[in-house]
Amino acid sequence: MEEIVTRLKNAVINYEMETIADLAKEVVDSGVDPLVAIEEGLAQGIKTVGEKFGKGEIFLPELVMGAEAMKAALAVLEPAVPSGKHRATLGKVLIGTVQDDIHEIGKNLVSTMLSSNGFEVVDLGVNVPSEDFVKKAAEIKPNILAMSALMTTTMPRMGEVIAPLKKEDPSVKTIVGGAPVTDVYAKEVGADGYSGDASGAVDSAKKLVG
Amino acid sequence: MSAVSYGIARGIRFQILSEEDLDRIHWGTLHILEKVGVQVDSPTCRKLLKENGCEIDEKARSARIPSHLVEEALSKKKSAITLAARDRSYDARLDLNHSYMCANGNGAVAVDFETGERRNSTKKDLVDSTRICDALPNVHIHWPMVSSTDMPASVVHLHDLEASLNNTGKHVMYETGVTLEDAKNLTAMGYAAAGGEKEYRRRPITSCLQCTYAPLQHDAGVMDASLEFARNGVPLVFFCMPQPGATGPASLVGSVVVGNAEVLSALVMTQLSSPGAAVIYGLGIAPLDMKTTVRAGGSPEHAICSAMGTEMAHYYGMPSCVGVSGTAKEPGIQAAIETYTGCVGPLLAGADLMCGIGLLEDSSCLYLEQVVIDDEIVGAIARLIRGEWADDETLALDVIEKVGIGKDYLAQKHTMQFLRTDHFMPSLIDRRSEDTWSTTGKKTMRDSAREKVKEILGKHEVKPLSDEVNKDLAAMIKKAEKPMWGGESRVE
Ligand code: B12
Repeated sequence: MEEIVTRLKNAVINYEMETIADLAKEVVDSGVDPLVAIEEGLAQGIKTVGEKFGKGEIFLPELVMGAEAMKAALAVLEPAVPSGKHRATLGKVLIGTVQDDIHEIGKNLVSTMLSSNGFEVVDLGVNVPSEDFVKKAAEIKPNILAMSALMTTTMPRMGEVIAPLKKEDPSVKTIVGGAPVTDVYAKEVGADGYSGDASGAVDSAKKLVG
Repeated sequence: MSAVSYGIARGIRFQILSEEDLDRIHWGTLHILEKVGVQVDSPTCRKLLKENGCEIDEKARSARIPSHLVEEALSKKKSAITLAARDRSYDARLDLNHSYMCANGNGAVAVDFETGERRNSTKKDLVDSTRICDALPNVHIHWPMVSSTDMPASVVHLHDLEASLNNTGKHVMYETGVTLEDAKNLTAMGYAAAGGEKEYRRRPITSCLQCTYAPLQHDAGVMDASLEFARNGVPLVFFCMPQPGATGPASLVGSVVVGNAEVLSALVMTQLSSPGAAVIYGLGIAPLDMKTTVRAGGSPEHAICSAMGTEMAHYYGMPSCVGVSGTAKEPGIQAAIETYTGCVGPLLAGADLMCGIGLLEDSSCLYLEQVVIDDEIVGAIARLIRGEWADDETLALDVIEKVGIGKDYLAQKHTMQFLRTDHFMPSLIDRRSEDTWSTTGKKTMRDSAREKVKEILGKHEVKPLSDEVNKDLAAMIKKAEKPMWGGESRVE
């Protein structure tokens, strides 16, 4: 059993996107606890990949391929987790680019970095209407709501989401980012965290759930 | 040399893509447009394309565009476009023979010239940078460098245009017309500043740069606004920006194909709606740096792509508008290398319009010092690409004969004459001796740049618009103001 979990971990580290699903099926068939496979295998694998990226040892496409491999395996393993049990994550993050804004690259990177660092991420995409953020948050109860805005004209949307969100559930933390967003601005709109890049986004998310 | 004196005269060209390469990119693009198509978010534009024979998938909001529509659009396009200026001596004629430089635009952050604090940009930053651009010899077209983020959010872009028109006599290009309503307001302000619609249509003193959305997408607001601009006689740039490796193939040529498909499909929609509309071919392809995840503005790849974009534009007989930027965090060696690399490649390839110099952190942060340093860099490149020729005057056989062997040319009239035309006269580069330099405070280029900024801000005067026009503009801005969260009354 040890061995197959290690193979799963290595499959993430070696970005085996195409074949990892088969390996995950093998795990399920072999009777290994899927939760153990996820936590000891996948999560450890992506952690290694994330650390290498943070140290500048590998490139972004490698990080993304690692994350894709993890996703492919999760799709097989998660349904096999006995109901009532949940995989341990650092927390749930709801993320999106604000209304009227279609810049997605930064948001996608933050998503990838968060999920490769142990967060469960729900991504609403780009041009997300402000109400949708609030509605979805009420539905899935994330620990953190993360918003990206790349334009001065769309930055105010972040405040437009945070105000009603906090009214409804003051315990939800918010983080914001995007090129024109500054520390000062983040405070102005009432966000709990801000970062200028994706690794900082992870640090700030960890602080908020820690 | 040609008779047009404004802008950078070009005598030298280097070529990156062969005729065969250009053909292959063109055919490859047509293949992609027919087979994959593009996503068109605007229902109006999808309807237009459908009526003209495109295959539309309403669910995916995509359109497949047959080649003949591209060929037709290309046959209707305009090859020579004049970006007129409030001050006529600044008219920029994009005639495929001159290069023009434009500062970068719409940064949202500025480093305060007095305090050095890094903060969100204000209208005052915009006014100052506009006056500086007006004074600089190597910035020919003006793009509002930063957003007036201290103004009410719904009308920031209108304040940007007002401040620009009042503080430079040069042509103003903006990139903030992203809804139909924006397009109407920005057009109306342009008409008012030009002295009416008729005068504006003859001499458009503003233009709009529109981004396509990589890979292969067109935002609804941007395209609806574009068709409105075209109807109103406002020249357009369709500017594609796939990032090789992220939103385009990692091979640069592959990303040029993606970008080309975006620009051509935008051209198709525009020419179907307003045949003969003035459209400039825009491209700013810089890879995503795969270690830092910052867009690699000012990289050699950025420069080569802008050069290839220019070659594609010229292949189609269209003027090009291509990008340059830099990722440096402050004025200095890195910023200079990035501006130089980013500009020299495309200018050597014959870029018609280049934007933009002066902003750091990849088109985000304004440092006034950097604007004047970049102006100097462009000045040096302008000299590099002017071209040389051998005629009686340049050969100077008579002067050589007259001076003879072993004497100098200092006292010759020919020397003074050619000093003016053949020698670049720096304004910041310090060529004084070490001795003089060290006894006068060992000034760095950044120090000199600060002095130049102060001097321009203290002395340079720009004739503003008339009070009457300004009253109209103020009324338009007031009318456009809308409640929006943040800095304004919130809609409950
Ligand atoms: C690429 C780009 C585009 C592409 C986007 C492609 C895509 N699929 O996403 C395209 C061409 C489509 C585009 C379109 C437009 N763009 Co644009 N674009 C850019 C550009 C050059 C780079 C953005 C980028 O991808 N950077 C790389 C990523 C990785 O960085 P990032 O997004 O900043 O994200 C990092 C951090 O900010 C942070 N972060 C981001 N989000 C979050 C969230 C959280 C929670 C946290 C903690 C951190 C965080 O971490 C990320 C990773 O390190 C910027 C300039 C710039 N340098 O920012 C302009 C820029 C944002 N665009 C601008 C404009 C104006 C537009 C258009 C309106 C242009 C037009 N007229 O069509 C349209 C927008 C239409 C719309 N409705 O949204 C302006 C905004 C100006 C302003 N003052 O508001 C900018 C600043 C350029 C400029 N100076 O003019 N654009």
